[in-house]
Amino acid sequence: MILTGNEIIKQVKKNRITITPFDESLVNPNSYNYRLGHQIIELHEESSLGNSDNTVENSCHDIPKSGLILYPGKVYLANTFETIGSNNYVTSLIGRSSLGRLGLFLQISADLGNLGPAHKWTLELVCIQPIKVYPMMKIGQVSFWVPKGEILSYNGKYTNYSIPKSCIYEDLKGGQ
Amino acid sequence: MILTGNEIERQVDENRIKIDPFSIDQVNPNSYNFRLGNKIIYYKNTILDPKVKQEVVEIVVPKEGYVLQPNRIYLGHTHETMGSDYYVPIIRARSSIARLGLFVHVTADLIDLGSYNQWTLQLHAVQPLKVFPGMLIGQVTFWETVGEKILYNGKYQGLKGPQPSQIYRDFKEEVRI
Repeated sequence: MILTGNEIIKQVKKNRITITPFDESLVNPNSYNYRLGHQIIELHEESSLGNSDNTVENSCHDIPKSGLILYPGKVYLANTFETIGSNNYVTSLIGRSSLGRLGLFLQISADLGNLGPAHKWTLELVCIQPIKVYPMMKIGQVSFWVPKGEILSYNGKYTNYSIPKSCIYEDLKGGQ
Repeated sequence: MILTGNEIERQVDENRIKIDPFSIDQVNPNSYNFRLGNKIIYYKNTILDPKVKQEVVEIVVPKEGYVLQPNRIYLGHTHETMGSDYYVPIIRARSSIARLGLFVHVTADLIDLGSYNQWTLQLHAVQPLKVFPGMLIGQVTFWETVGEKILYNGKYQGLKGPQPSQIYRDFKEEVRI
């Protein structure tokens, strides 16, 4: 079952959902609008599953206030401005239809969060036509779902990161 | 919890879900198949700036079909007007359509409680693909909620035909503050 906006507010006040900073004006009938954080990583053309160097890490930079144009055929990693999470409700990130109508994907296929600690969420930005993005723009929505069954909290690779991150290279090196 | 097809039918009968027009043939085990409406729009500009209101070109999709190209976002719409004050609609493509590489929503499949429209479909074809008016293009599922309901009171309500993005209004509001 999906939480209504009123229930999200209630659960944030009870500290059973974390959304920090929290602004009641960003609550929708069944989701919360999150904003685009300040940093972005562009995956370089030479990045591939077989490449284990750190070019992905080095290309993290700030999105200027005047905006940054994203181009089709590339994947950009950004993050939510807000720290979001819950040990009680499953987090699901989606875009806003206003951005979808401009052809901007925020999650390629991985919109489901794990029950567990709160952090800034990595967004996988892909665009169909070139599109400008601005730091702090309202870019997506997060919804919360009631799980069934005993809760097993996430304790994996991405818990501690608050900059946009891809950890695939560590997987390949046999890390964690 | 997701509503079964039988339950969707019942809730439509009881006016707690609106699907108009409604056809029993389009009910699946846990979803309802909707059709593509007859209008498609795309943006005149190639580079899109969310701060600027974008001009669009409108096409009436001919019976012989219209080819969607991979380098553009197209906005179509559902033939049906749909919505509910009680269950959250979530739209997805039909797998037959997805297997041809057509996305029917880019990232925003969740419809707000209380929002009633011919829904705008964010069409993206991975390979050039022909679409036809009235084709069964997607499915809608309905989900129960937890908590006191607040109904949608935003920009896109009671609409017919595809609607371009109104995100430029976000930035105007910020300037006023």
